[in-house]
Amino acid sequence: MKDVFLAGAALYQAGRHYGKNIDDIAAEVLDKALSDVKADIDALFVASSTTELANKQQILGAYVLETLGLDKIPVYRVENGDGSGGAAVALAYHALRSEEHNCVAVVGVDKPNDVLSNQQQDIYAATLDTYFERYFGITPLSYAALMAKMYLKKYEYKYEDLAQWAVLMHSHGAGNPYAYFRRQIKLEDAVNSEIVSEPLRLYDIGPLADGAAVAVLCNSRKEGPRILSVATSTNTAAFNLRPDYDTLYSLNEAARRAFEKAKITPRDVATAEVHDSFSIFGVLAVESLGLVRRGGALAAMKDGDLPVNLSGGFKSRGNMLGATGVYQLVEVAWQLIGREFKRVDGSYGVVHSMGGVDKVSTVVVIGV
Amino acid sequence: MSRVGVVSWGAYIPKYRIRTEEVARIWGDDPLRIVDVYLVDEKSVEGLDEDAVTIAVEAARRAIRRAGIDPRRIGAVYAGTESKPYAVKPISSILVDALGLSNNVFAVDMEFACKAGSEGLVAAIGLVDSGRAEYGMTVGTDTSQGEPGEHLEYSASSGGAALIVGKDGVAAELEAMYSFVSDTPDFWRREGSPYPMHGEGFTGEPAYFRHIVGAAKGLMEKYGYKPSDFTYVVFHQPNGRFPVRAASMLDIPMEKIKPGIVVTHIGNTYNASALMGFARVLDTAKPGDKILLVPFGSGAGSNAFVFTVTDLIAERQKTGVPTVEEMLRDKIYVDYAQYLKMRKMIKLFE
Amino acid sequence: MRHESVPIYWRNIPHYYRLVARRCKKCGAVYFPPVVKCRCGSTELENVELPREGRLVEYTVLHQVGTDFLKQKPLIVGLVELPNGVRVAGQIVDAQPDKLAPGAKMEVVFRRVITDGKHGLVMYGYKFRPVGGI
Repeated sequence: MKDVFLAGAALYQAGRHYGKNIDDIAAEVLDKALSDVKADIDALFVASSTTELANKQQILGAYVLETLGLDKIPVYRVENGDGSGGAAVALAYHALRSEEHNCVAVVGVDKPNDVLSNQQQDIYAATLDTYFERYFGITPLSYAALMAKMYLKKYEYKYEDLAQWAVLMHSHGAGNPYAYFRRQIKLEDAVNSEIVSEPLRLYDIGPLADGAAVAVLCNSRKEGPRILSVATSTNTAAFNLRPDYDTLYSLNEAARRAFEKAKITPRDVATAEVHDSFSIFGVLAVESLGLVRRGGALAAMKDGDLPVNLSGGFKSRGNMLGATGVYQLVEVAWQLIGREFKRVDGSYGVVHSMGGVDKVSTVVVIGV
Repeated sequence: MSRVGVVSWGAYIPKYRIRTEEVARIWGDDPLRIVDVYLVDEKSVEGLDEDAVTIAVEAARRAIRRAGIDPRRIGAVYAGTESKPYAVKPISSILVDALGLSNNVFAVDMEFACKAGSEGLVAAIGLVDSGRAEYGMTVGTDTSQGEPGEHLEYSASSGGAALIVGKDGVAAELEAMYSFVSDTPDFWRREGSPYPMHGEGFTGEPAYFRHIVGAAKGLMEKYGYKPSDFTYVVFHQPNGRFPVRAASMLDIPMEKIKPGIVVTHIGNTYNASALMGFARVLDTAKPGDKILLVPFGSGAGSNAFVFTVTDLIAERQKTGVPTVEEMLRDKIYVDYAQYLKMRKMIKLFE
Repeated sequence: MRHESVPIYWRNIPHYYRLVARRCKKCGAVYFPPVVKCRCGSTELENVELPREGRLVEYTVLHQVGTDFLKQKPLIVGLVELPNGVRVAGQIVDAQPDKLAPGAKMEVVFRRVITDGKHGLVMYGYKFRPVGGI
């Protein structure tokens, strides 16, 4: 089996792109990444959460290729809700490891702003059980709020401790040219933001944004950051029947496998991009990855910097739903080599891409 | 096995209330005058996610719980209402699945203004007495409307009451029943019309009183009853004055009708009105008590029933099912804006 | 005219109306939402109705809601534990949030969940409310 390298990448600035179709923004970054790599791809994996539900386009990959004048390339559409990005990376990686392909592009693209905010909530709620959760008005935000409440009580933190996550994210994202919000914030900004699902406030939510990201993975070149391992796992217990709510079980298992395959431990991780669609998920992810002890993330944040989500995370960089996993991969890779981001001190980075409320997680380990 | 009668009862009143003075404030009426005319202090208001169907289910579930029977033994279910969400679609079939009844059940929705639930009682009695059903259930349920700014609005309220009829485990035996019906258009609502029309004073003498007295007197004459035979008398309650006057017209003393009066606290629950008064009486009745129940429906007609309470009543009263008294006290007040929103009367995009 | 799927709603009526769950005949595990296969490996599952009362585990007041609930916000979303150990997630109604607390006694009620516009079906289902009035 050949090794897989990130040969090239491109990111689209996260934001409101009312003037562009979903295939347009995907095509722009794909073209940029391909010029970067100067290689032909022999497959296209497309990760998206909104393309059918908001943008009314199936077989999106073929239309992206059409607009770039590229012919005869296989396209595969991958969906794991807001974890689509990680899942597409996983499948691309496996396709290259099998040597069925030499160079593939993974495109993550979403345009939630083509629909109204309540319709965006409907799309997000469809990552939950559609008959027993979405039907009754339950949304991922409400589950995040329940988990936050239980976590704060169990580990005896105050809400202000959790609000630090937003402050940290903004301080990291201020230097990310592709981020949605590139400004520092103060703790009062977060603590005084409007309640969205108590105790969570507006600043505990990663704002939905339009965006596209491309990672070109090759096994035919030995240059660039190397994908050391990819693992995906699921937590198939219904939310209401889970034994506890302070572990992200899908992440826990995926991380265990990914670290084992890459032969590293959490202590070796120099940078991690975790799925903080809601602040509490970022907190739990850091713990479930093993970067901090269970219940210790907020204390670690208070004591010093937590070198996690240097992109600004979902809160500052933005939540591009299914596309975000690809953003995260590119961000970690660039942080390891010092491109567009300050170079981190270390050789290993981790990506955590999650679908729904701990329903599925993909973990990618990258090394230089 | 005894004669056919009421095996169990259940009632449901939504928690929300609006005061007469709050409605009067909006429409420029003198609240003291309105309270004096109708003797309705406040009325029950259904929640935003409630309707005649949900209310019927709650009342029926309570009756089944109190009866302690397997719902699959119920052979007939009648839903009497004038405010169901559909012009065409049965709610009795929703009751079948909501209550876990057998599919082999006679079911129909009935309409006769406020008397439909009562007519369901007649039908259930007929089927059970003839041996074609082991148990029969009737539910009177409404979230009825009065035109805003018009006097009916002070009393038109929401509630439900259910009765289970059988021959086994009877808590109140049926002794007699009678009816008095004529084409008297005192109150009606045309197809597609949002609010009913009514004849003000015409709803009194020619309608309510003629038929209530007609049914009660007719029953007493045919079966040889005197007012002194009854421990309790329960009338349909469109307001707090009409049942008092009907009692006086029939020489029935006030203390016999007072226990069955609920309208002062919750308004007129239409198909649940008399049946809820009946439920309140059953909550505290003693063996041997004789109850005269006289529902009325506009258009117009009245039924009259005589029930005698049996020794099984105590067992039924002790089941822990919420009593009407408890429901009357369990309330949250709303203002007129919340009232409009909850009653789905605010115009929204479709 | 566009309207909600009737078959999707109709086939879930036993679950929505009577909280019909699935119990494994082999090991006794109870699943709600219902499953096809028990984790013990058995596909022999039977219908069982869940108890209609329980205790509140945790709740939140949700302000950002989906399209069907825009006129009903905020929603109180809660997790209720039933006497047989099964937990159910759902809306809590007829309650004032500042008077709710974990441990509160809750009962199942039958309510409207979604109304399909002016002409479509009214869809019902279970919700929870505090017992004894809050």
